[in-house]
Amino acid sequence: MRPHVGGAWSRALAVAMLALSAPVALALDGDAILRQVDRKLNPESYEMYRKLINIEPDGRKKEFVLFSVKKGRDAMIALFLDPPSEKGRATLRLGDNMWLYIPNVGKPLRITSLQSVVGGVFNNADIMNLDYSVEYRVEKAAEEGAAYSLELKARSGTVAYDRLKMRVDRASLTPTLIEAYAASGLLIKTLRFKDIKDFGNGIKRPATMETDSPLYKGYKSIMLYANIKPRKLPDEVFTLDYLPRAGELR
Amino acid sequence: MRGAWLLAPCLLAIAAAAFAQDDYSFDVGQFEKKPFEFGGYAELRAEHFRLDPDAALYQLNFFDREPVTEYNAGIGALQLEGLYRQGISSFRFVGYGVYADDYRGSDSATRVYEAHLTLAPSDRATFDLGKKTLSWGKGYAFNPVGFVQRMKDPNDPELAREGFVIAGGNLIRSFDGPLKTVAFTALVVPTSDRVNEDFGPGDNANPAVKLTLLYRDTDIDLLVLGEGARSARYGFDFSRNLGSNVEIHGEWAHLTEITRPVVNAAGTVTTVTQSANSYLLGARYLTETDLTAILEYYYNGAGYSEDEARTFFQTIHDAYAAGDTALLERLRAAAQPALLRPNPMQRYLYLRLSQKDPFDILYFTPALTVIANLDDGSRSVAPELLYTGVTNLELRLRVFFLSGNRLSDFGEKQNDQRLELRGRYYF
Repeated sequence: MRPHVGGAWSRALAVAMLALSAPVALALDGDAILRQVDRKLNPESYEMYRKLINIEPDGRKKEFVLFSVKKGRDAMIALFLDPPSEKGRATLRLGDNMWLYIPNVGKPLRITSLQSVVGGVFNNADIMNLDYSVEYRVEKAAEEGAAYSLELKARSGTVAYDRLKMRVDRASLTPTLIEAYAASGLLIKTLRFKDIKDFGNGIKRPATMETDSPLYKGYKSIMLYANIKPRKLPDEVFTLDYLPRAGELR
Repeated sequence: MRGAWLLAPCLLAIAAAAFAQDDYSFDVGQFEKKPFEFGGYAELRAEHFRLDPDAALYQLNFFDREPVTEYNAGIGALQLEGLYRQGISSFRFVGYGVYADDYRGSDSATRVYEAHLTLAPSDRATFDLGKKTLSWGKGYAFNPVGFVQRMKDPNDPELAREGFVIAGGNLIRSFDGPLKTVAFTALVVPTSDRVNEDFGPGDNANPAVKLTLLYRDTDIDLLVLGEGARSARYGFDFSRNLGSNVEIHGEWAHLTEITRPVVNAAGTVTTVTQSANSYLLGARYLTETDLTAILEYYYNGAGYSEDEARTFFQTIHDAYAAGDTALLERLRAAAQPALLRPNPMQRYLYLRLSQKDPFDILYFTPALTVIANLDDGSRSVAPELLYTGVTNLELRLRVFFLSGNRLSDFGEKQNDQRLELRGRYYF
């Protein structure tokens, strides 16, 4: 009886393909996924409006409205439009450098990324966040059902959170959940993304981010996004001397 | 009927969901840019002073007045800010009015802090004309390089200050590489009998320049004020982040021909003129538990030495004990430009600790500020409670405790304690 050569070859081929494909499936390019997540969230250079809502355990709320512009990998300005007590405050970020301009003080003061200019669960790093791939490298990536699970490590000691655990929806390539940890391993906060919305210009991303923190039990902060648009600006806008004029950018 | 009971929670849930949806709505149209912006704050302040009748500065202020050992003051203040934009030009106005009532009666004052026209023909260039508040230097509580501004009150460093009439321009260029930004500011602060008379005497242009660099993640300023109503002075400052929670900064200034009135043991007032170097080194540190510490060491080379200050204070005590009002009047005039200013001596340490949201109380910030005179060991300690939980309302309670030996800086201040309750509403 003639052996079933075709079947043996098919099995051998299948085994070989499996052997070849298995490492590919295991070695996900986490950094490439992270870069795609960044581009899904925002164009590299853009303007946008955000509303921050801090909610206390008794339901009381405090709201802030910001206008932001970002250029390239690491330049960003956020200008407070509301409430009046914060109006005119502006923060500038250039890479790891961050400054706060308070109109009464009359000059930008250097601040650190872990400080908070608004109180509540959000800190400066959440408000002035650059692309994740600029600040973090992916140490571990895995597929978990309909999601990617990424473990991120800060590229430098000046980044606000030492480690992030990010869950990314595979279909939309947008984050659904991020846990932020200090170098000590302490969970600082959890960010939850929801309400996928089409902002136009090819930008389809979550319009809401909710944050809570074990450091602020019962408190919650929400960030709502609006009018995200690509925008080109000269580098001179992202300087200390320009910061008092940030209102002219609108 | 039973169905209605079952339906009620569902309706409530839907209503709650609809309500929640409304709460999270964001209508950007409300925040459209307008050509005219208006804002400001109204403030009410209640203060209680406990005075030290044995202190030199009490005796200097009260030798010709009805003595009091403690008193209350009520203060109402209003700050109005307006901005009008038209094309490349804008006009900014900041006005401040204050009404105060204490044991001396009531008094009021209004000041124009800022009123200037700005032309911005491009993102890289601006030109200013009018009264503008400049703020040079990186220090939080002190600014040795603050050549073109009024002195900061270290007890309230973030308070708005009145500007000077200036004419000037600013150019900015950005680059790739280690030198990221270069900005150049040139201005004149003209003085005459009618303009900027409190900047200094005489008809002078008072030119000043500032070169700002962002080099390898360090802010650097080189600053010069030319000879004029004030003596020539130059300096530099820097600041830099060392990590996500540490910032360091510093300033150095060389001041030529600085004068200060000194008193000898016989009560003769003479003026000392000398060049002086002043500097500041500071850091801001944030702990994982949201405690912010600001620490600054300030060396004021133009200030009184410990011996000079002791002699000044002792002469006041002697004149007061002898009832020599003529000498006390001369000493008061001599003390006005230097000894009565905040931090008139040479070596100071400033420490401010503020804890954000302790005990899970959001928008609540207790703080402690210590200003210590390292020459004589005297100090001011000010605990503070700040609450900003109600939108646009800021409530602050603080107490100052001044202590030190006789003939020391804080030991000879007019008051030993000051309690201050301030409510400020922004609009």
